[in-house]
Amino acid sequence: MASPDTALRRSIDVLISLTISDLKVRYGRGGWRLVKWIADPFALVGVYLVLVTLVLDRPGEAPGLSLACAVIPFQLFTTTIVNAMSAVAARRSIVLNMGFNRTLLPLSGALTETVAFGASLLLLALMMAVYGVAPTLSILWLPVAIAATILLAVGVAYPAALLGIWMPEIGNFVMSFVRVLFFIAPGLVALSQISGDAHDLLMINPMTGLFESYRDALLYGDAPGAVELLYPATLGVLLLVVFVPIFRSEQRQFAKIMEF
Amino acid sequence: MSAGSISAEGVGVSFLFDRHQRAVTPALARLRRTSTRTWGVHEMGFTIGPGEGVALIGPSGSGKTTVLRLIAGVLSPDAGRLDVRGQVGSLLSTEAGLLGLLTGRENAALLGVLAGMSRAEAQAALEQIKLATHLEDAFERPVLSYSEGMKARLGFAVADHTGPDVMVLDEVHEALDHEFRQIVADRAHASLEAGGIVVAAGHDHPLLATFCDRALWLADGRIAADGPFEEIRQAYLNEASIDS
Repeated sequence: MASPDTALRRSIDVLISLTISDLKVRYGRGGWRLVKWIADPFALVGVYLVLVTLVLDRPGEAPGLSLACAVIPFQLFTTTIVNAMSAVAARRSIVLNMGFNRTLLPLSGALTETVAFGASLLLLALMMAVYGVAPTLSILWLPVAIAATILLAVGVAYPAALLGIWMPEIGNFVMSFVRVLFFIAPGLVALSQISGDAHDLLMINPMTGLFESYRDALLYGDAPGAVELLYPATLGVLLLVVFVPIFRSEQRQFAKIMEF
Repeated sequence: MSAGSISAEGVGVSFLFDRHQRAVTPALARLRRTSTRTWGVHEMGFTIGPGEGVALIGPSGSGKTTVLRLIAGVLSPDAGRLDVRGQVGSLLSTEAGLLGLLTGRENAALLGVLAGMSRAEAQAALEQIKLATHLEDAFERPVLSYSEGMKARLGFAVADHTGPDVMVLDEVHEALDHEFRQIVADRAHASLEAGGIVVAAGHDHPLLATFCDRALWLADGRIAADGPFEEIRQAYLNEASIDS
């Protein structure tokens, strides 16, 4: 049996190789892949943000930037779920041919989406420039907010991958539910513009803390509240604690499911 | 290469199906409450030692591929005990784990790592793997453009380059042209002489005979006979001709 050190190095190599192969499939090769990497988030949400910023006359402080602070982290969350739900089926030929640690598949999918998410950060910078919002020291909280977003995305990748194996037919329903999470969070409207019971109820949604953290760091110039970051991060860790062992146990059966 | 060995004792592999006849995992079967269990391989016992070339023969659906997948670590036994020692190199389909949008080179790098090489080792081996595939310029093209034979060449070259103690081949070598079949046979012989194990399944018995001295005849997921290749092959063919 391999030592823990060797096993860890091997897992890292497998993880990097799976992620690189994913990125090559998505962005191709050569100089154009950088252009595609940068252009992808613009294609996904950029047009919508331009519409909100330049065409629609929306109330509130820097509405385009406020919206970007919600849409961009949410994009990582949703694309990770989409990727995870097909993580095993997309690698059917490998799963049926080789024995390897399949527990890395959802993590690799989340890493791929994190790399894609990196380009989205340019949109945030663009929105700040459009509204003339100068960065303050609170921008140092942005990496922490990004880390919480990634942790939640990785956590949700495991149950999503299991659902993709167990019940692939409910994929559309799952995505509808995920989209609802955006609309029952302060996505279109900042939390400060919502009052009463709705304000308190929205705090149950882990997206609320994430969206507000990005706004605190980039728009309001404040430090995010501890709960805003700790809640989604803790939820991500809890999902990992519960679902990684289930995924590890179930991975022995994946080849059987893929065969039929 | 270190000496490989395979030991199976009462090994079984079962498949669970829900009421719509979809394959389900045990966890999902428990949630859905109704499921039926079918044994693909049942009460199987054998040992294979260093230097042995073993052919799995039998009709389609007899469990050959399931046994190869067990040895390759693709499946785990649901009953009994299976002990596979040594590095395993597997080629269980012409797709061979290849991703169509990646080039031959990119696939070789990925499969090399999945087969147990470090990233550095896999990168360093790429030129040798390219030579071994005989694919030349096609090695740099997406695998989508490959024929079945080209895919099998690539898959075999990667599996072989990892220096496996146990080589597992499932019919795919039958997709190869005559030149590459000879290469597969030569590599299998070299592996056997070095104390490796080759386990292969297929319907091309003359090809299997070139590197297998022993055969396991599988029927309905069980071992019907185990012995010298030619003897078992004749018994199987006689039974098959009587049945037909």
